[in-house]
Amino acid sequence: MLAGVAAKRLLLVVGVVLVALLLFGLVRGAIGSAILKSETLIPRPEIHLPPQPVFPASSRELHLGLTSKPSEQGVEADAHTAHDLPEKTADEHGGGESEDHGEAHATPLAVTEFAITNTMLSAWFATIVIILFFVLGAGKKSLVPGRFQSVIESLFEAIINFSSAVLGPGMARKAFPIVATIFFFVLFNAWLGLLPVYQFLGFVGADDDLIKVHLLRPAGTDLNMPLALALVSFVFVEVWGFKSHGFGYLTKFFAFGSIIKKGPFQGLIDVFVGLLEFVSELIRVVSFTFRLFGNMTAGEILVVMITFLVPLVATNFVYGLELLVGLIQSVIFAGLTLVFLSVAVSHQEH
Amino acid sequence: MEMMVLLQALDAEAAKLLAAGLAIAVGVIGPGIGIGILGAGAMNAIGRNPEAAGSITTNMILAIAFAEALGIYALIVSVILLFVV
Repeated sequence: MLAGVAAKRLLLVVGVVLVALLLFGLVRGAIGSAILKSETLIPRPEIHLPPQPVFPASSRELHLGLTSKPSEQGVEADAHTAHDLPEKTADEHGGGESEDHGEAHATPLAVTEFAITNTMLSAWFATIVIILFFVLGAGKKSLVPGRFQSVIESLFEAIINFSSAVLGPGMARKAFPIVATIFFFVLFNAWLGLLPVYQFLGFVGADDDLIKVHLLRPAGTDLNMPLALALVSFVFVEVWGFKSHGFGYLTKFFAFGSIIKKGPFQGLIDVFVGLLEFVSELIRVVSFTFRLFGNMTAGEILVVMITFLVPLVATNFVYGLELLVGLIQSVIFAGLTLVFLSVAVSHQEH
Repeated sequence: MEMMVLLQALDAEAAKLLAAGLAIAVGVIGPGIGIGILGAGAMNAIGRNPEAAGSITTNMILAIAFAEALGIYALIVSVILLFVV
């Protein structure tokens, strides 16, 4: 294609342009603007921790503050307690004192309301992408795989090799579907969330043309998705424990039988250890949940804040980091499920 | 004594910022040390047995996830202090 000298020159030009953009970002971003006392290139981003309702439009407008909270007359009395909190925050919002925090004080949904949130939408989007990916890739299986099919085959092979290293080949084949599902769901949610589409699709607020409610937001940044996945993984592990040991599985946690078998001293230690195991089994759900939620939320906030501090080039490094974090978190979620599964199944009567 | 005066002079907003910073700063020390120990152990193990590098790395990442979860808890507390409370 290009001669060696021309290629070298092109590379140099690209490098100079990138450095220039980086310097421009440093000067015009929040850091440079604070020193030079000038206006920042992009306005200060708002961080939303709770997911925002998108559909139906009425709850979205309520969230945006376009319409005021409907009066309490229409709501029956038993829902009143659920509305206490929203009412209070709505008053604050109306007072105009929470201008700097914006959506942080937006009205949360009451228990009785139902709205489709942006995280739900993006979870569905990720599901559709996963289905399309695998249907297109492996729908028509040919003996000599094409490029797409061999990618999927090698992915599956890697997962099944990993799980048979932990569980042994027979069990790995049976545990494969749920482990692979968890892996791909977390991975696609994390990686699709890095698409710029997630940042620039949304609904603008009333007063300015900044996006206040995003149409899509990575599902991992909603606490409910990691919690649901953690509960699925927890129930899966426990059901398999019961399946392979029967009700003897419970003696792992409530080892009262060993008081008789091993004498009072050793028995009491066993009982205590069993209770510890029981507690740690429950803590596992919390740990699963917050690990994924924290990583995804931190990534989202990091991308947004770096874009605010140093616009243009610097964000790309964060994107690289986020790709790695998404992969590691999905490996960890699926891998820990496997490890706990192997612990639950291999538990032996002592 | 001066510390007490300083604390009384803090308004709620400043206390919130300070708390968020302290939460993440102190909360990350432990996981940092833990991940360092884990990484050092894994490097040692790979140095002794280079053929097992693959499985050592996998296990190291799994173990790091446990240590890292604690740091993530601190991060969540800090983020909640900043944006929700």
